[in-house]
Amino acid sequence: MKKEVVIIGGGPAGLAAAIEAAKCGAQVLLIDENKRPGGQLFKQIHKFFGSKAHNAGIRGIDIGRQLLKETEECGVEVWLDSAVIGLFADKKVAVLRNGTTVTVEAEKILICTGGAENPLRFPGWTLPGVMGAGAAQTMINVNRVLPGKRVLMVGSGNVGVIVAYQLLQAGANVVGIVEGMPKIGAYGVHAAKLRRAGVPFFLGHTIAEAKGTEKVEKAVIAKFENGQIVKGTELETEVDVICIAVGLRPLSELAQMAGVQHDFIPELGGWMPLHDGDMETNVPGIYVAGDTAGVEEANTAMDEGRLAGVSIAHTLGYLKDEETVQKKNEIKDRLNALRQGPFGERRLNAKQRVIEKGEAV
Amino acid sequence: MGNGVIIDGFPSMEEIKKANGWPTEKRFAKGPVAIAECVQEIPCNPCEGACPSHAICVGQPITNTPQVDREKCTGCGLCVAACSGLAIFVIDKTYSETEATVSFPFEYLPLPEPGDKVEALTRGGEYRCEGTIVRVMNPKRNDHTAVVTMAVPKEYIDDVRTMKRLNAPKEETVFEPVIPDGPIDDDVIVCRCEEITAGEIRKAVREYKGESVTEIKRRVRAGMGLCQGRTCGKLVTRIIQEETGKKPNEILPSTDRPPVRAVTFGELAGAKEGGCGDE
Repeated sequence: MKKEVVIIGGGPAGLAAAIEAAKCGAQVLLIDENKRPGGQLFKQIHKFFGSKAHNAGIRGIDIGRQLLKETEECGVEVWLDSAVIGLFADKKVAVLRNGTTVTVEAEKILICTGGAENPLRFPGWTLPGVMGAGAAQTMINVNRVLPGKRVLMVGSGNVGVIVAYQLLQAGANVVGIVEGMPKIGAYGVHAAKLRRAGVPFFLGHTIAEAKGTEKVEKAVIAKFENGQIVKGTELETEVDVICIAVGLRPLSELAQMAGVQHDFIPELGGWMPLHDGDMETNVPGIYVAGDTAGVEEANTAMDEGRLAGVSIAHTLGYLKDEETVQKKNEIKDRLNALRQGPFGERRLNAKQRVIEKGEAV
Repeated sequence: MGNGVIIDGFPSMEEIKKANGWPTEKRFAKGPVAIAECVQEIPCNPCEGACPSHAICVGQPITNTPQVDREKCTGCGLCVAACSGLAIFVIDKTYSETEATVSFPFEYLPLPEPGDKVEALTRGGEYRCEGTIVRVMNPKRNDHTAVVTMAVPKEYIDDVRTMKRLNAPKEETVFEPVIPDGPIDDDVIVCRCEEITAGEIRKAVREYKGESVTEIKRRVRAGMGLCQGRTCGKLVTRIIQEETGKKPNEILPSTDRPPVRAVTFGELAGAKEGGCGDE
């Protein structure tokens, strides 16, 4: 089977890219291993930041609905419940679908398989009740199941703080947020919502132990200095859930096996595929976008997807040079706007390094 | 006085005044006015577009902190629901002789009703005084961000920013000192699929000089289970770091090979009709 464009991963980056490329006339196949596309968007019940062009002020779940509608309208072929299990030479994509493997030959491939939550090792971390913040968010916002009544959140970045707020909204009690650094990582406005609700932050603290026999019953936290737990500072409280939100890393197994050059970029989650200014990797015709191309957030993921979609449509001959330049510049301006300020600058600089290295490969 | 938003989790009065300004008492005497408490440069500007009087300016770049033109502001409160960060409030110091009102965004159910007596809380979530609910606005346009207006004695109006949510748990959370008696780190499982402990991995690093995730995987099978190291890869890297003092960029991740998802031989061979099986 041959397809012009195969997009692997139907999250914000994949959907935005599919729409962009299909609108220009490209034949697009979008593959997602879940039963429903949208990636993490359908878990995001809070209003998004950004500008009007980014759908700021609209809840993530509604942005997801809008993208799905557009995907249908512009004739993107979507395979759900289909896992890409490998990439082979000559851009052959092996897909596990309906109980069998299907091989699709693609002219262009976009890998946007997202990121994975980082784990944290501590005694008791394998007990039921210890879970990634993303898992808790799926339970409350997608499955409508409260994972527990008393939650300790480990990590004060935007993910930890947003999920903690949503746990409160779902009716759980968040007993505290533990942060190893001496300052809060999330946007102050997110943190302020939790402080108003009476949730304490334990800065310079970490999780020392999860206690329990069959499941988590208590959490022990302790002061954390120079990467070490300070003995004698341990405090314990009753919880039934411990959420871990200590960052994400790019999921790029497929890019790795396709021969894409990787590098270690700490600001964007560690080992990640390098790419050029148009999201193309050193393997011609293979593109990356979204968290796979460095962990950021949904707005940048959508714009990177659009950038990849435009580049792909252009190289396939569906877009004139002039129009392409104009579209790319608009998207790049928006990406730059999202990467400003004290929170965005590190990512802006890191992305510039990625692109410089990617173009030098 | 406070330590600021990155320590306390809510902005100090100094930070608010510096980043967003503060209305004069003369302006407060004229009626309701919006107060933005958005002190960090984050990429966000829906407040600017939400104001029918064009009283809020973010401008370019969109990381600017919002500035409210207090003369143009009518205190209508549309920005309160539009702010994605729930960081805009409307203060009315002319509500009565003794009381002022604060209108705040509220996204918890159940919503209060006018006339309810509630606990008025500060930016830090501390009880300040009793508040009386004056109005609850939740039109479709607000997209589920209700705007609650609450009256409190005038002397508390600069501090009070919300009410205690109505379903908040009654019991207090207690953190008590404890002497740890848990398992030692060597017995903590790192690879859940293959049940490999931190001690076994440490031994592999020390005795067999394993200095990459792949070497550890070959020696002790950490990362060879169902999840193919998706969970433990970072944990193994961490232990190699701890043991060798290497930096994370010096420790290569394991090599990824197909299949990246669990797959049966039947599925691979294209046993079912429709399978290609020509590879």
